[in-house]
Amino acid sequence: MGAEDNVPLDDKAKRMRDLLSSFYAPDPSTNNAPSNPGTLDAINTSSFDADQYMNLLIQKSNLDELLQRHVEMAAEIKNIDTDLQMLVYENYSKFISATDAIKRMKSDIVGMEANMEQLLDKIMSVQSKSDGVNTSLFEKRENIEKLHRTRNLLRKVQFIYDLPTRLGKCIESEAYVDAVKFYTGALPIFKAYGDSSFQDCKQASEEAISIIVKKLQGKLFSDSESIQARTEAAVLLKQLDFPVDSLQVKLLEKLEQSLGDLQLKTDDIENASMESNDPKLGKVPDSVHITAHEGSIRGFAEAISAYRVIFPDSEGHLIKLAQDLVVKHFETVEQCVKGRFSCANLLVVLRTIWTDVLLMDEVLSEAVLPGFSLEAAQNALKQHVASTFNYLLHDISDALLRLNVSSKEAAEENPLQVALEASKKALLQGSMDVLLDFRQLLDDDLGLLVQLRDFVSDWVQEGFQDFFRALYDRFFLLSGRKSSSSQDQGLTAGAHGEKVLAGLVLVLSQLSVFIEQTAIPRITEEIAASFPGGGARVYENGPAFVPGVMCRIFRSAGERLLHHYINMRTQKVSTLLRKRFTTPNWVKHKEPREVHMFVDLFLQELKETTSEVKQILPQGLERKHRRSDSNGSTASSRSNQLRDDKTNRSNTHKARSQLLETHLAKLFKQKVEIFTKVERTQESVVTTAVKLCLKSLQEFVRLQTFNRSGFQQIQLDIQFLRTPLKETVEDEAAVDFLLDEVIVAASERCLDPIPLEPPILDRLIQAKLAKWKEKNPITP
Amino acid sequence: MQGGSSGIGYGLKYQARCISDVKADTDHTSFLTGTLSLREENEVHLIRLSSGGTELICEGLFSHPNEIWDLASCPFDQRIFSTVFSTGSLFDIDLPFYGLKMETGLIVFFAGEGESYGAAIWQIPELYGQLNSPQLERIASLDAHTRKINCVLWWPSGRHDKLISIDDENLFLWTLDCSKKTAQVQSKQTSGMLHYLSGGAWDPHDINAVATTCESSVQFWDLRTMKKTNAVERAHIRNANYDMKNNHILVTAEDESGIHIWDLRKPKSPVKELPGHTHWTWAVTCNPEYDGLILSAGTDSSVNLWLAPTSAEEDATSESIVESPAQQAGPLLNSYSDYEDSVYGLAWSSREPWTFASLSYDGRVVVESVKPFLSRK
Repeated sequence: MGAEDNVPLDDKAKRMRDLLSSFYAPDPSTNNAPSNPGTLDAINTSSFDADQYMNLLIQKSNLDELLQRHVEMAAEIKNIDTDLQMLVYENYSKFISATDAIKRMKSDIVGMEANMEQLLDKIMSVQSKSDGVNTSLFEKRENIEKLHRTRNLLRKVQFIYDLPTRLGKCIESEAYVDAVKFYTGALPIFKAYGDSSFQDCKQASEEAISIIVKKLQGKLFSDSESIQARTEAAVLLKQLDFPVDSLQVKLLEKLEQSLGDLQLKTDDIENASMESNDPKLGKVPDSVHITAHEGSIRGFAEAISAYRVIFPDSEGHLIKLAQDLVVKHFETVEQCVKGRFSCANLLVVLRTIWTDVLLMDEVLSEAVLPGFSLEAAQNALKQHVASTFNYLLHDISDALLRLNVSSKEAAEENPLQVALEASKKALLQGSMDVLLDFRQLLDDDLGLLVQLRDFVSDWVQEGFQDFFRALYDRFFLLSGRKSSSSQDQGLTAGAHGEKVLAGLVLVLSQLSVFIEQTAIPRITEEIAASFPGGGARVYENGPAFVPGVMCRIFRSAGERLLHHYINMRTQKVSTLLRKRFTTPNWVKHKEPREVHMFVDLFLQELKETTSEVKQILPQGLERKHRRSDSNGSTASSRSNQLRDDKTNRSNTHKARSQLLETHLAKLFKQKVEIFTKVERTQESVVTTAVKLCLKSLQEFVRLQTFNRSGFQQIQLDIQFLRTPLKETVEDEAAVDFLLDEVIVAASERCLDPIPLEPPILDRLIQAKLAKWKEKNPITP
Repeated sequence: MQGGSSGIGYGLKYQARCISDVKADTDHTSFLTGTLSLREENEVHLIRLSSGGTELICEGLFSHPNEIWDLASCPFDQRIFSTVFSTGSLFDIDLPFYGLKMETGLIVFFAGEGESYGAAIWQIPELYGQLNSPQLERIASLDAHTRKINCVLWWPSGRHDKLISIDDENLFLWTLDCSKKTAQVQSKQTSGMLHYLSGGAWDPHDINAVATTCESSVQFWDLRTMKKTNAVERAHIRNANYDMKNNHILVTAEDESGIHIWDLRKPKSPVKELPGHTHWTWAVTCNPEYDGLILSAGTDSSVNLWLAPTSAEEDATSESIVESPAQQAGPLLNSYSDYEDSVYGLAWSSREPWTFASLSYDGRVVVESVKPFLSRK
């Protein structure tokens, strides 16, 4: 078949092979499926139909072709037959050669059996021989092993018997490490046989070990030993199953105790520094204290570092201890800060604390002591700033309130002025001191403070801001404007108390101006000079010191207080006038005999005001020459003069015509502006008060109805008031006008307005003046 | 000075203290004012704002027998009003003058110890325009008083047949019958010793609540029981006015210490404080329409317009320091200072609530509009 493959593939060979393979193929249909029985090629398919093929052939082909086809087909058939024959032959010969090979194999296998049996025998004999050797040697080997074990045991026993002496030797040579190693090695044996065979041995070695333990403990507790040695001792003790924890606790307790001692010492330092710094000569004891304290802190730090090495798990406890110490330090600082405590002292204390902290930080950086103390220092400083300002506020209000006391107890020459000066000084000096004080904090190069520098300057500025706010509140509290209770007190208390209060208001007003004009600029300057940086930082929680706002606040406060003062003063006059005008029956008034006493009271009140104002306020600049200031034209003042003459002259004329004249004068006169802006001068304040009082007088008059005598009484009173008022007052024109207005109002409200005859008027006034001079000869 | 040019002026012949808005006149903005002249014939003027709002026209001029200290228009009948007047002294005046007064049909002369006071309800005659010299018709006289009468109050919110009159010591509640022309005392209460009453205000929200001012306090009365219900301790209150819009809000004017706004539920301390005037603050009145708009008149010859809403800023009573100067300046919307004399009379128009009339002592009525300031709100 292989030979056939080599034959060039011609049509014939190919077809034959196809046929053959189809013959052998298991599924003939696969080969023949595509063939169509309707074509001439279908001759090779299984569905070949001979009749159909024939018909097809006959139909398609002519005779020649059919003949040729016939020849071809016959030849093909012959070929196929021979091929078939050859195939059968080939297959047969192959079968025969296979049968031969099988026969040969059968004869070869027969000899092998005997060889295999021989091999088995030989192996068996080898095995038996090795067994023999093994059994003969076994006994000897057993013996050797036993002997070896005994020897080991003996060596151990020997070691144990030697242990006490060995330990003794170790103790002598202080080789505690070896001793502990030996003992711990022997320990299992002692545990197993300690009660029986090795009793003595065990006891002896335990004694030795206890000595060792004691020595180790001693070593551990003794501060003279090196830290390494102590650590070793601690480790050894731990190996000896000694209760190290209790040791640790004991040690830490000791440490805590020493801490308490330290704390006490800081207290001492602060006390000492407070005492010694006050007289300003005790720097030496201070430093002694500090060095002593530093020594003990150093010891503490060493102890901490030692314990940290010795007991690694005690770190948390140590951290807590250190932090406790710092906390306690700052507690004492805060305690101190609550009182009056200068920055210098604070600085000393902070420096001490900071060195402590740094020392401790070296050995115990995990405690974050610097950060911790930074925070605490921040709080302490903040508190210090707050309390400093608080004390400043107290100082100032004390200075102010001294006014109440002093003027009640002793009649000083000018208590208001004293109070003003005192409070001014308290304020400015106090603020400067505070700034100087805080300046020290900034200048110091203490690590703690360097980090807080920005904060400090911010706090100081904030402190000033808050301080001025508080001061503002305090002012209004003192002036009685905010709280109704104090005002009630003023009303119910005697005239004296009320008077003092009024003076105080004036002082406060002037002080506000002082703050606005002098104190705040100076403080701002000072802050700018000595607290740089803080202002540059943007502050979220509200601005630090804003001098502009404060100035504005105090300017308005000054104005309000000044008005309040004038109000208080005029209110008193008002009450006086109210009584004067509501009590008598004006319609049935008797003829005027003398100037009514309310004039005295009014002038008295005015005198008081003037004296208060003179103490506090500056004098105006030559006001008398510019009397027409309020109405802004010289014409009216001239007209006033004219009117003065007129009224003087008209006293001789008939009364009605005089009234007409005043009316006319009023018509042609420029409107006098009565209520001008109050200026901060003696004259302006007094004038304003007088104007307000006279206006009130006019209003009271307008509410009444008078008979002739009543009108004449008013006329007399007003006429009398004219001279003293002009003397005290800057704006004569306005006062004159108002006085005239009162008379006009009275005449309008009079049923029968006939004025007093001038001679009578004069006489009555002279009489009153004479009486006045008699009473108090000093005053004109 | 700023508002000086915008005002519309009207001159009375004599001095005057009181002006009242004619609330019942819904067709015109009109005011009633009466003169205060001791020795001349006094007049009541009915003034109307012209339809263009550019001038004040005298609608009616009636003679009144005595000087008028208080005048109030009836809130439900435009022809009715009340006056409080004084007659001067019985003993000192000339006889003919006295006789004239008797002729004009005067009402009450009770014997005070000197000058005498009276109060009456008047009706303007119906055809007053056509009459030559129209006479006021007296409906009733409130003649139970023995002391100086201070004011007569109508209930401001509508028709109510009761009247209140206040004298120095007593509070009277009257029942008024306009058709029968009678007024009878329904009840009376004495304020108690040492409380000299000076004026009062009737709560527009509560027909039974009246506030009276006296020397040391504002007292509140329940008219059903005539008992004191409450008091605000405050000295020298000149004038009090209820807020028409907000219940419980009372505004007071004090001689020296300015204007205070009170929440009557918290009488201990004022809700708000306004600086008031340079001299006394004489009168204060709340706008009937715009919340927190307050007018005050003072003896410093000026009228101040304030904006101080209470409802919105109740929490802001505890002012901080920084704000307080600003707050003090803030509420003052305008100061009308173009007056020659003290301003005593002040009235908002209820018909045109952006208009008010003011009356200075020299008899000059000025009607101003606050419209330019309303837009700023």
